[in-house]
Amino acid sequence: MYEVRFHGRGGQGAVMAAQALASAAHIEGNYGVAFPFFGAERRGAPVLAFTRVDKDRIYTKTQIYEPDYVVILDDRLIELVNVAQGLKEIAVAVVNSQKKPEELDLGIPIKTGVVDATSVALEVLGAPITNSSILGAFAKTTGEVKIESIEGGIRDIFGHRIGEELGEKNAKAARAAYEKTEVGTCRGERKMEVKKQWLPTYKELPLGAATRPMQTDAGLVGPGSFIDNKTGSWRTFKPVYDKDKCNMCRFCWFYCPEGCIYDKKEEMVFDFDYCKGCGICANECPKEAIEMVRD
Amino acid sequence: MKDLPDEELFTAGHTACPGCGCPIMVRAAMKIFGPNTVCYFPANCLLVFGATYPQDAFKVPYLHVLFENSAVCASGIKRGLKKLGKGDVNVVAFAGDGGTADIGIQALSGAAERNEDIIYICYDNEAYMNTGIQRSGSTPHGAWTTTTPVGKKIAGKELYKKDVPRIMIAHDVPYVATASIGHPADMLRKLEKARDLKGFRYLQIFAPCPTGWRFDTAKTVQLAKMAVDCGLWTLYEAEDGKVTINKKPKMTPVKDYVKLQGRFRHMTDEQIDSLQEWANKKWERDSAMVIE
Repeated sequence: MYEVRFHGRGGQGAVMAAQALASAAHIEGNYGVAFPFFGAERRGAPVLAFTRVDKDRIYTKTQIYEPDYVVILDDRLIELVNVAQGLKEIAVAVVNSQKKPEELDLGIPIKTGVVDATSVALEVLGAPITNSSILGAFAKTTGEVKIESIEGGIRDIFGHRIGEELGEKNAKAARAAYEKTEVGTCRGERKMEVKKQWLPTYKELPLGAATRPMQTDAGLVGPGSFIDNKTGSWRTFKPVYDKDKCNMCRFCWFYCPEGCIYDKKEEMVFDFDYCKGCGICANECPKEAIEMVRD
Repeated sequence: MKDLPDEELFTAGHTACPGCGCPIMVRAAMKIFGPNTVCYFPANCLLVFGATYPQDAFKVPYLHVLFENSAVCASGIKRGLKKLGKGDVNVVAFAGDGGTADIGIQALSGAAERNEDIIYICYDNEAYMNTGIQRSGSTPHGAWTTTTPVGKKIAGKELYKKDVPRIMIAHDVPYVATASIGHPADMLRKLEKARDLKGFRYLQIFAPCPTGWRFDTAKTVQLAKMAVDCGLWTLYEAEDGKVTINKKPKMTPVKDYVKLQGRFRHMTDEQIDSLQEWANKKWERDSAMVIE
């Protein structure tokens, strides 16, 4: 039996990747189950999905806590989430990154396969959706499933959900990523910290009282405390601003859903700590002073 | 728009999907209402991305109780504040279209009948997006959702969009208005007007949802503008029942609006025609509300 944990972002298709892997295992005559982590996920927020594969019927229904393989669909998640949680020395990681395996630090030195799945996906699919490409890298790095079965699994799951033509394209993306995967060993110097929870006593938080903004062990809490939550790592594209074309109409400032474009009287300033790269500013700018480029 | 304050009462760092139309509306609304405001949210996206214990994006007090009682709770907050001598505080309920058109309509109707002194804002993204795209009364004809799937015989929603603003006008409340994030000047003027009036004020603001409607995140505002142009969403306001149309639609073909969205991808020409027919009828109906 082997267990796989997928770290992705809402909208990248971690759940579909987990299903396609289970389907690929099924093609090879194994049993496979895939399931997501349930929570209040938004598009762009960190999410989890799991696959469990065995030669025999699977009776274990729990979430996976000590995976044999960990698949990371976006290398910026390493900064946000403890991706090494429950990993053993013999575990293997598959990461979507532009870096080399030796440059990555997962907190534990393990065998790591790396592919720039975002570029592959943009090339083959025309969208930064990396779930199919990362499965090609999974096949190459772990050798648990053949790439032909992965292609079959993708055709099955993706073809059913989004149409046969797109299923075929995604299978192609998996093959392209399979060819480009580099395997090495990552570093393990980082100390992974588990985020603390804020659990106030009744004295700190009396019944019926509103909280003030407070700095706690778990970070800032209370009104306006989301300012602590840097959403900038969600983006794939970023706006580039041309000051000379700008006429200070403030449309971008008004339309920015994050409120992270500031009016500094002579120019607009973009705060990349919060920008999610949606592209509304570039689309709505009447002077075309904003352009979206790959971050 | 030039005079809006720079200070954000709805801070950055909230966890809405990229390209969400709702925070655009909420940021603007909070700038208009100012810090002297108390908010109420039923279960909706805004609550989940803007106010998750112990962190939240609002710098003003807010309350969350249940899905169906937004108008009841807001009324209670206002009456409580009046008793405490704080009658000048704006009480605003931000509800989604599901919490307004379907689940919350009895509480809404009751509060409108009693003419409670609150502002009720419905941000209309045409489905229950928070729980994973289920159809609501506000979902337009032909749209795919998880509960109106595309099958061989029936593709998408068969019924048409429920017209909640007209239901509210029928309650004879002081102010009812429809707005869109694609027309900021109009929206800001209506928010200001709502703030300055007394009694029950209802606003329905059109806010596209890139996740549920399946379109490119950059096109949120563009689609909001197109919906007004093609007549699927009319901008009007009613003061004490007197209706004024704020923008006459250009009546561009509905097809241009439909083809940009994945939720309408399956639509046949017949279905698009019937949606077009509905848009034409809607404009006839809305323009007939104006009494010369």
